[in-house]
Amino acid sequence: MSARPQRNVITNALAQIGEAGLFLLTLLAAVPRSLRYVRETVRQLWFVGAMSLTIITVCGLFVGMVLGLQLYYVLSIFGGTAASGTVVAIAIYRELGPVVTALLFAGRAGTSITAEIGLMRATDQLAAMEMMAVDPIAYVAVPRYLAGLIAMPLLCAVFCALGIYGGHLVGVTWLGIDNGTFWSNMTATVDVWKDVVNGILVKSLVFGAVVSLIAVYQGYTTPPTSEGVAYATTRTVVASSIAILALDFVLTAFLM
Amino acid sequence: MSQRNSYAVGTGLFIVLGFAALAYLATQTTSVANTHQGASYTVEAHFANIGQLKERAPVKIAGVRVGQVSSIVLDPKQEAADVKLSIDQAYSHIPDDSVATIFTSGLLGDQYVGIQYGSSKRDLADGGTLARTKPAQQLEEMLGKFFGAGGVADNLGGSYTVKARFGNVGALTVGAPVKMAGVAIGSVAAVHADPVKLDAEVELSIDKKYDQIPDDSAAAVFTSGLIGTQYVAIQPGGSPEFLKNGDEMVLTQSAMQLEDLIGKFLVNGSPAEKKDAPAGKQ
Repeated sequence: MSARPQRNVITNALAQIGEAGLFLLTLLAAVPRSLRYVRETVRQLWFVGAMSLTIITVCGLFVGMVLGLQLYYVLSIFGGTAASGTVVAIAIYRELGPVVTALLFAGRAGTSITAEIGLMRATDQLAAMEMMAVDPIAYVAVPRYLAGLIAMPLLCAVFCALGIYGGHLVGVTWLGIDNGTFWSNMTATVDVWKDVVNGILVKSLVFGAVVSLIAVYQGYTTPPTSEGVAYATTRTVVASSIAILALDFVLTAFLM
Repeated sequence: MSQRNSYAVGTGLFIVLGFAALAYLATQTTSVANTHQGASYTVEAHFANIGQLKERAPVKIAGVRVGQVSSIVLDPKQEAADVKLSIDQAYSHIPDDSVATIFTSGLLGDQYVGIQYGSSKRDLADGGTLARTKPAQQLEEMLGKFFGAGGVADNLGGSYTVKARFGNVGALTVGAPVKMAGVAIGSVAAVHADPVKLDAEVELSIDKKYDQIPDDSAAAVFTSGLIGTQYVAIQPGGSPEFLKNGDEMVLTQSAMQLEDLIGKFLVNGSPAEKKDAPAGKQ
């Protein structure tokens, strides 16, 4: 599990995906055993979820505001600024909400999960747990994975709410789009299943599952050196970002 | 203990906040906000054409939303769409001879069903049918009426073909109407350039009903309206012989190019001058 033999880039990537998949099976198999550590899961949920709220709310607000501003500029060319509520909502629900939340989540929570588990590995804490008959998968890995899985859709919902508020703030409060048309156009067009459920629940659940898996896997299999922890943390961000954007395309193609 | 409580409470708050945001977004910013949950009754309406009407489109009376379209199916027995309207129980006094019309909100908006009250004393009952309907206005049909183009449907099989040569066909395309006295009698079957004579050879497919067109009739490429599509107009001649399948029309008038017209107008001041008139090809 520690140092991987040298392979070329493609086989290495394939091997990592395969190992991560096997690791996911190990995690899922350990879920029943980790039920007795539910308090640890709550603590992780506090750490990856509640503590991420600041960055999510601020970023959501700014994404919504810049969207409102740009849409006002473009739509005023056609005299269609009343449609900006619709476009803000659809853009945020379908793409920006899940994707930006997942990217922020990978940077904010994924890295700290990897670094924490990686350091436990490097300082032999995981080995010590095994010696004390505590299953490190059930006690360390599964609670963090579940916490990430639960936190992502909730963070995404908060992000979307703040994004729409930001779009409303710029469009209606500052630039003077009519409040009624802003909301009524939005409510007339946005569909609860195709937009809200597909975006917030389906997409962000998938992203949460993938990002958390990458973070926990990279931490758990890191080479037990300080350099190894650094590399693992970087790889978490890189792999998560690629996985999020690639999966986003695939999911969009399926959910259209 | 106190530390554990603090994060437990914080996590609980986080979960509640997340679900509250989700519930708010799902109910207040989506079309769920528009769909009434109250009791409703269903009436049917048969439309010849529903256009872009979709399920869950609003049903409006006097512009006020009173219900929604619950299902749209094609009537298996006739060429008509069977539309079920789910109307709020509060609006149960709709006369049974009311007219259902499919409207478009704005030029680009979605379509909805509008109900205009009739004068009957009896109310429309649950499961009843709105007998009087007006189908959706298709933009193409309206434009067609407006520009006087696109009249007849393709008449496959029952047509004959004549040829006409033009010095310039302008933007004439395959499928453009062929008209006589302003009425569409056929369509353009093919447009191609002649590699030897260096002009355009147009095949006109004309309905068999119109088989008494004199063979010295003239064909001209006209434009319907200022920005309309181009069509071929046939001006009947006086010959006792009629055009037959495969004949060629000898008198033609090419399409007017806007640039040519403006050029003539600017240079000569008199576009009607004989020598500048578009040459009828012999």
